[in-house]
Amino acid sequence: MPLLEGRGLTKLFGRLVAVDHVDLAIEHGEIVGLIGPNGAGKTTLVNLITGMEAATDGRLTFDGHPLIGLAPPAIVRLGLARTFQIAQPLRNMTVRQNVAVPALFRAGHVAGVGAALREADEVLASVGLGPKRDFPARALTTPDLRRLELAKALALRPRLMLLDEVMAGLTPTEVDAEMAMLRQVNARGIAIMVIEHVLRAVMGLSHRVVVLHHGRKIAEGTPAHVTADPEVIRAYLGTTARASP
Amino acid sequence: MPRVTARGLGGPAGAILAAAALAAALLLPSVAGTYYIRVVTGIFMFGMLASGWNIVGGYTGYPDFGAAAFIGIGAYTTGILMSRVHLPFAAALPAGGILSIAAAVAMGSVLLRLRGHYFAVATLGFMIVLQQLASNLDVTGGGSGMNLPPVRSFTTFYYWMLAGLVVAVAVGFVLPRSRVGYAIAAIRENQDAAQVLGISPLPYKVLAYATSAFFFGIGGGIYAYWFTFIDPPTVFNIDFTIQAVVMTIFGGPGTAFGPLAGAVILKSLDVVLTNISIFLHNVFFGALVCLLVIFAPRGLAEIFQARGGLIEAIRTEVRENRI
Repeated sequence: MPLLEGRGLTKLFGRLVAVDHVDLAIEHGEIVGLIGPNGAGKTTLVNLITGMEAATDGRLTFDGHPLIGLAPPAIVRLGLARTFQIAQPLRNMTVRQNVAVPALFRAGHVAGVGAALREADEVLASVGLGPKRDFPARALTTPDLRRLELAKALALRPRLMLLDEVMAGLTPTEVDAEMAMLRQVNARGIAIMVIEHVLRAVMGLSHRVVVLHHGRKIAEGTPAHVTADPEVIRAYLGTTARASP
Repeated sequence: MPRVTARGLGGPAGAILAAAALAAALLLPSVAGTYYIRVVTGIFMFGMLASGWNIVGGYTGYPDFGAAAFIGIGAYTTGILMSRVHLPFAAALPAGGILSIAAAVAMGSVLLRLRGHYFAVATLGFMIVLQQLASNLDVTGGGSGMNLPPVRSFTTFYYWMLAGLVVAVAVGFVLPRSRVGYAIAAIRENQDAAQVLGISPLPYKVLAYATSAFFFGIGGGIYAYWFTFIDPPTVFNIDFTIQAVVMTIFGGPGTAFGPLAGAVILKSLDVVLTNISIFLHNVFFGALVCLLVIFAPRGLAEIFQARGGLIEAIRTEVRENRI
């Protein structure tokens, strides 16, 4: 049984079909890329999975637990972590306090604040934020905020992480560092879904790629398979004048 | 998260200072006259109210403008139980505190779903509703108010208020170092982010609101017995809320000792200025609030933390174009 399984996921905003009967499965320990042009419904799909928005229709299970109708904190505590497209630090708390929060509130949380702070230090060291642990989160640079988001997600001890545009705003060197870090995360047995515009990163990381366009799943397969798919090329580049009769 | 407490007054020096202050407070009635005992009792009361308001308004970031609702609940519960049921004060007062908690849980479960200004306005409405209710019920004595049994000694209230204050400050000190404190800090900083870190916000917000309400209820109960007469406008009085808010903001919201510092300084100034001129004291208070919001929105704590003190804090403010 897949770790995450969605069937016929649909979301309507008024008459706009943001997500249109999408089937989705993520296996244990897998890295799945979710790509698609702007407005394809990627973030909406993530919001449905994490309970931030209510699905209009469809079924969704995580490790056998039905997710539809659960509030975001309950879904998180099942072991499904997410990061946001725009980093959401707890600005006036220190970096290590930020990471102590998930350690204190996941299922099987640590006993006290002291233990949570010690665990935060370990997690921060693993993402390279150790030296900045006493900074207020508001003082971090963009790449460091990305690392903090990742550290907070890791401290939830998730089995699946949904990463919404973790590469946004990073330089090519920073993208490489981020990719290496995500491979390490995956090596610990955490399944990852990367929602990404930076195609190089998605293609380099993912075992499997899902392509959304106008809310529909138009392709799915290995990175090589998907990039060769004519419908995907059309969705990203449009139809050329010569291609039409 | 604890902006000042962690560095400022947490160490052994802070503990000695707190113990010395407490010892001085305990001994004061044996050396001071009735007037000063009454003044300091008032300071203790507002120290407790501000420290209580800080739990919901400071640490949790929910501006409760109806906090005086719980002054009224505590005052009337204590008054009714003492004068109509003839319970002793020591039994009536906790009942007022418990009823305040119950009311806060009931109202908070609804009102705390609102954010920001909407919460502030709704809590204010809650207080006004209770004031009208108290004016029209028989058991409260309606608009003509009610009398409580007369009292023997002012020192009693001094010690009751001191006890309430100590508990309120202790809660403010322990809270940010606890798991609950991390939850409400995360909620204050970013409620959506807090949810994806596994926190269900409402129970923690209700807990903070009820804790805050408890101190207002206790404050109201002691106040009622102290003044021996209560009526709806004096206890369901927004002035209590405003003073607690100003003192908290002046001292440093979201800090353990800021609200107490705010209460001590502002209430002392208030007493001095009122002795000079009632008019001057209001002008002063208003001007102070304006200056404070402009230059030190995080209170005295912010000024003390800025390198170079007040002047540098103001310069920084000007540089950052907040004014």
